Order: sequence, then structure tokens, then C-alpha cells
Amino acid sequence: MIPDIAQEGSAQEEQWVPEPKAPVVMFNNVGKTYGRYQAIGGVSLALSGGVTGILGLNGAGKSTLFKLLMGKLQPTQGEVRLFGTNPWKNPAPYARVGYVPENENMHDWMTAHEFVSTFARLHGLTRDEAKQEAERVLEFVGLSDVMHKKIGRYSKGMRQRAKIAHALVNDPDLIILDEPLQGCDPLARTTIMNVIRELGRMGRTVLLSSHILSEIERITEQIVILHQGRLLAIGNLHAIREQLDNIPHTIEIECGDAKALAQDVLSLEVVHGLQFPSPTKLKIFTHHLGEFHQRLPKIIVDNNHDVMVINNPDDDLQSILGYLTGGYN
Amino acid sequence: MEKKRGETIWTSLDRKATAIAEFTMRQYRTRISTWVVLGVGFLAISVVLLFYIDAMNTDIEAIDNDGDSYDWDGDGYVNGQEIKYGTDLNDAFSHPGLLNPPIEPEPASMYINEDDYDWDYSDASSITTGYDNDGDCANSSLLLSQQDGNGDGTPCNIILRYDSLNGGYIVFADPYVDEDPDEDRYGKEAQHRAFILGIGKLGFVFLLSIFIPLFLATGLIRDEMTSGTMQYMTAKPIARGEIFLYRMLGYLAIVWPYLIMLCSLLALVSGIMGPGDQFFRFGDLGVWFSILIAALLATLVYGMLFAFLGVLWKYGIILALPIAAWELGMALLSMSVPESSFLRMSIVGWSMSIIDSGAYLAWPDMAMFTQAGEWAGGSNQGDTFLMFGGNELPGYGALEWAQSDLGLGLGPYATTVVSVIVLLFQATFFWFIGQLIFKSKEIV
Repeated sequence: MIPDIAQEGSAQEEQWVPEPKAPVVMFNNVGKTYGRYQAIGGVSLALSGGVTGILGLNGAGKSTLFKLLMGKLQPTQGEVRLFGTNPWKNPAPYARVGYVPENENMHDWMTAHEFVSTFARLHGLTRDEAKQEAERVLEFVGLSDVMHKKIGRYSKGMRQRAKIAHALVNDPDLIILDEPLQGCDPLARTTIMNVIRELGRMGRTVLLSSHILSEIERITEQIVILHQGRLLAIGNLHAIREQLDNIPHTIEIECGDAKALAQDVLSLEVVHGLQFPSPTKLKIFTHHLGEFHQRLPKIIVDNNHDVMVINNPDDDLQSILGYLTGGYN
Repeated sequence: MEKKRGETIWTSLDRKATAIAEFTMRQYRTRISTWVVLGVGFLAISVVLLFYIDAMNTDIEAIDNDGDSYDWDGDGYVNGQEIKYGTDLNDAFSHPGLLNPPIEPEPASMYINEDDYDWDYSDASSITTGYDNDGDCANSSLLLSQQDGNGDGTPCNIILRYDSLNGGYIVFADPYVDEDPDEDRYGKEAQHRAFILGIGKLGFVFLLSIFIPLFLATGLIRDEMTSGTMQYMTAKPIARGEIFLYRMLGYLAIVWPYLIMLCSLLALVSGIMGPGDQFFRFGDLGVWFSILIAALLATLVYGMLFAFLGVLWKYGIILALPIAAWELGMALLSMSVPESSFLRMSIVGWSMSIIDSGAYLAWPDMAMFTQAGEWAGGSNQGDTFLMFGGNELPGYGALEWAQSDLGLGLGPYATTVVSVIVLLFQATFFWFIGQLIFKSKEIV
């Protein structure tokens, strides 16, 4: 075929050699503006290995950060490096990257197996190799039994897992997941979390974004907090959380009998306040969100409570952000 | 991934190419819009085909161009028979029945279309042709010198001379020779050729080759960018120029077989239905082949162009519409003024010159044949004694409209080669620009 002369690098993984000493992901004073709107400003960050959660409210710039990394956006300022290579206009490093976009649109007319194996061939695999690889990764995300069904008939959680499978083809060193848990049912959530933890254990560099702290918390302790396009905090979640315990958190539970549940919940010392907005709704205030969440399931199961919804609003992240930004939101 | 033996850039490119092309092809197949567009195209062509079949099955009314089926003096003998026996057309008491032995009157129908063309179209330089079938040249009261009106020494014949200045033929005819041509014979052949050229030029190269890419190729890259599904493809180690190219391959894998099928169908039907004694008109296949080549290349170039416009702007179809209008103008221009230099700035002009070359090769008698239709037994010339028919033979107008000369000033083979090269260059150019723009686009 005709060689691509305008390209900066090469699409061939054979020719592209990653910098051995460079961090997997590096942002150096990166900014991205759309007209007068600044999506990202002055972000400097270097990551290698382990699972890192990118935390931020909607519009904080998480997706922009990922898209810059995937060469889908061109930074207006600073430089982005993926394995030491500039990803803009250069698809070569993607041979070692898996990307799960936030976008919910998929090729609904394909089966998950076709979807994964078709895109696996773009890594240079033959048809048969791609099929084997697709089966392997679909097994890994737990979709083996439904992989020959059309994606259009999948639930939200299955779609997310199909997207993750697509990203895991060719065993990438870096996996980027943009809001992988959004809209998933609890079962899919658990599966996806296990997959991500497993990838971390396998020594891959995993980046995932979320706007829900408790989700990230169950997967990793290494977090990056983005707020209004700025890097607010990097580091161990515990260190940040220690300081946060003075701030009360709110949990909303919808259940059959709010009063009965309230009695049992009050036995926890971490709970320091309750509210009854309606007979089937319970609002719980706590300083130790993590501990509360660890102990809540046991209470529910032991006392056979009929719980419909556990709502953990953005409150916790809001409060962290509030704390980090000095009380303003 | 472990590297395997025998692995080269080419094998891996091939894997990517087939993966994306197959993917694109299947994507087209799952869309209803694809089938609607292809179905409408098929219907439009079929309707024209029905008109053609109807025309081929309808006899063209015979016209007595020289008027010798009439009986002026009312003696029961038509003029033609009276001329044959040298009796007076205007005298009721002078007719072949009074001769010894008396001659029975012949039916008037014998004197309609009785002096058809006997032209030998195969010799293209300067030829002597035409034969006075009904003998009304030899039997006329004209002097021998008057019977040799064109002065070539032979009475009652026709000389055709190629006019290299204007590219056509000039007819030098002796009086009353080939003056009552068979309308049906000429008209069917002319309509048949006009149908093939017309449907090839306006049906295949213009209508199908513009509208199919307009609906199918404009969104080739753009739709994926809008819906966000391009995220999956661009997350893989593949250059965007390759994505553009391989998706185009998938588009061609749908459009080209469709054109081949449709073109074969028409070639088959018109080959069987067309005029002539033979079972199948194999001689037309060359024209159909050139139509197919022209349409395949045109869909490629328009596909690249419209896909590029789609990448350029979200509403690329709006940019494509003025181009389609320009191409329509160029299509009509190429059929009337094939040498116009405006045509060099079009896609349709180059495609149509491929068809013209094909027609030139398959029907070398075309220039003489159209001239025959215009001459119409001399009814266009002032020196004929009767003008009962129209000025031109039926089918001549359509043929004259559908056919055009080679506009490049080159021979048919050279015209074809140059046109194919130009079209391939255009396709490459649009691909190059398209992928350059695609590469600089941010995928949000």
C-alpha cells in the first residue's frame, strides 16, 4: 500500500521502539483550550505502573486528559508523552495501549467477538490469531458465554466489558479507562473492578477516571484529583482522607423500613447523625465513609433489611474538593 | 506479541487493510440506507431499461420518403411502377397495363422503404456506395450526365467523403439513389446505440456514480467521528491515512460489485433485445466494458472526494451538492462540446471520454451512421424532388445527442489511457488531501 509520508512516526510496531527509561505517561505543563474555554490548564504529571484513579467532577477535564494521551486532541500548550513518544499524529505507541472511551456508542450490529477480533487485527494479527485473542480477553472480562450475541442487545455493564475487552487485546502495558463503571449494575461493577485490580496485579499501568470516590477507593489508593482543569492533588488516598474525616458525609438509603434500619445503623460508632426525609428513606451522616461502607453490608444482611437503593451522591468528592480548594465549591 | 517468521510490513498491512475493509463492508450491509440508495439506483435504471425494451418492440412507422407509393393519375398503378416501366405519372391513359403484354398493378406497399441504404460502413476513408434498388434513377427521364450528379463517372451511386476539417462525412449522391430508407431498420439501431450511450453516460457515470458516493461515501469517516465510534479504530496502532484508504476499500467492495452486476444485466438485456439478426450483439460488449470502467473509476474518485468533504466539514454533503451540480453541467457539456477545456476540471468529463473511446472502437461506423440519419435519403438536401418524410430519420436525434467525438484530440486507446490515469490521479489526490485533514482533526 501507499506509504504514509506525512506521518511523523510509523504505524508499524516493528519499527517503533519505546523509550526504556521514559515514564509510561507524562504531561509537562499541558493545557488545552477550546476557544475561550479552558478544559485543562498547566497539568504536569508522570505515571508508571500501578492503578491510578483520576478523580474529578463532570467537566473537570478527565476525558480531555485521556484524549490528549491518545492523540485524539492536540494540546494547545505543553507536551504530552506516551512511552516517551508524542502521541499526536503518531499512532505507533498505541500498539502498547488499550483505551476504553467514555462514549457509549458502539458498533451495535456486531457481536462482541466480532468487535474485539476485528479491531485486534489492527494490531497486525491474522484472522485466526485475532479470534483466539478475542476469546482470551472476552473470557478475562467474563463475557465468554454471550460473546456471539449482538452488542446492541447487551446491557450497559456488558457493553462496558466488551469495550474493556477491545482495549485488552495484544496485552497492552498501559490501559486507559474513561468512566468504566458509569451506569453499570452492581454485578458488572464488581466484575469490572476485579478486572482492573487484576490488571494492576499483573503489573500493568492502569489509568481510570471516575467522579465517584468510593468506586475508585475500592480499586486503588493512588489517585489524582482534577478540578476545573487543574491538578488538585496527587497521591495516596488515605493521606488525603485522613484529613477529610472532620468533614461529614451523607449517604442516602432507600429501604422498606427506614426506622428499623436506623436502629441497627446507629450501633455503628462512625455514624453521628440520621435524618428521615420519608418513611422509606434514610439519610446517614458519617465522618468515616470508608469504614461505614465496609460495615454496612453486614448490617443489611444480618438483619435482613430490604434495601432498594444506596445513594452515595457526589457529596464525598464534593467535600474533598471543597476541602482541597479551601472550602469553596 | 512475539514476532513471527515471514512477518513483514506488507503482511501486517494486509491484515489491517482486510480487517477494516471487511468491517466497513459489513457495516454498509447492516444499514438500511445502503439498500435504499442501491435499490433506488436499480429502479431508476430499470425504468429506463423498460422504456428501451418498449422502444425495441415497437415498430417504427415506415415513411414513403420519395413519394412513389402514390398514384397521381389514379390509373391504379403507383408512381414507382410507372417509373419502372417508363409510363407517364400524370396521365391516366399511360400505364404499364396498356403495355404488351399488360402488367398487373403492384401494391403500393412495395414502393415504401424500397430503396434502403446499401452503405458499407466499414471503409472509413472515401468510398463509393449506394445502389439504386428500385431503379428509379436509371429509369428516370434524366440524361446520363444528370444521373451522375456527383460526377464520379458512375451513374446512380453515392460518394461519401470524410471531412477531416469538421470530423463528419459529406454525402455526394446521385438523384433518386437510396432515397427511401427503412425507418425501422435505421431507427432501431440508432435508438439502441443512443440508449447504450445515454444510460452509460447519464445513468452510470453521472447519476449512479455521483449519487451513490454522495449518500454512501460522504459519511464514510464523518459518521464515525460524529457518533464517536471512530474512537475504537483510532485507538489502535494504525495511521489515519490507512483508515481512510481501507474504509474506502470497503466502500468499493459494496459499490463495485453492484455496478458490475447492473452493467452486466443491461448488457445482457440490450444484447438480446437489440436490433439485428444475430442472437446476441457481441459487438456492443466493448462499449459496455468502457461504461463499466468509467463508472468504477468515477465512483472511486467521487467516493474519495465526498469522503474528504465529509472529513473537512460536518455538513460535507452541503459542499458536495454544488460539486454535483457542476458535474451535471460538465456531463451535458461533454455530450455537446466534448473538446471544451472546462471538462478537464471535472471528473465526469474524463469518465465520459472513456465511454466515447469505447464507442469509437466498438462502432467504427458511428460517424457515417449518424450522417446517414441526418441525410435521410436526401430529404435534407435541396435537390430532392419530394420531401414526404421528416428531415431526419427517427432515432437520429437521440443518437446525435448521446454520442460525441473524442474530445482530447487523441486516438481512442490514448484517450482511454490518459483518462484512466487522470482519474486515478484525482482519486489519489483526494485521498491524500482527505487523510491529511483527517489526521489534523481532533476526535472529540
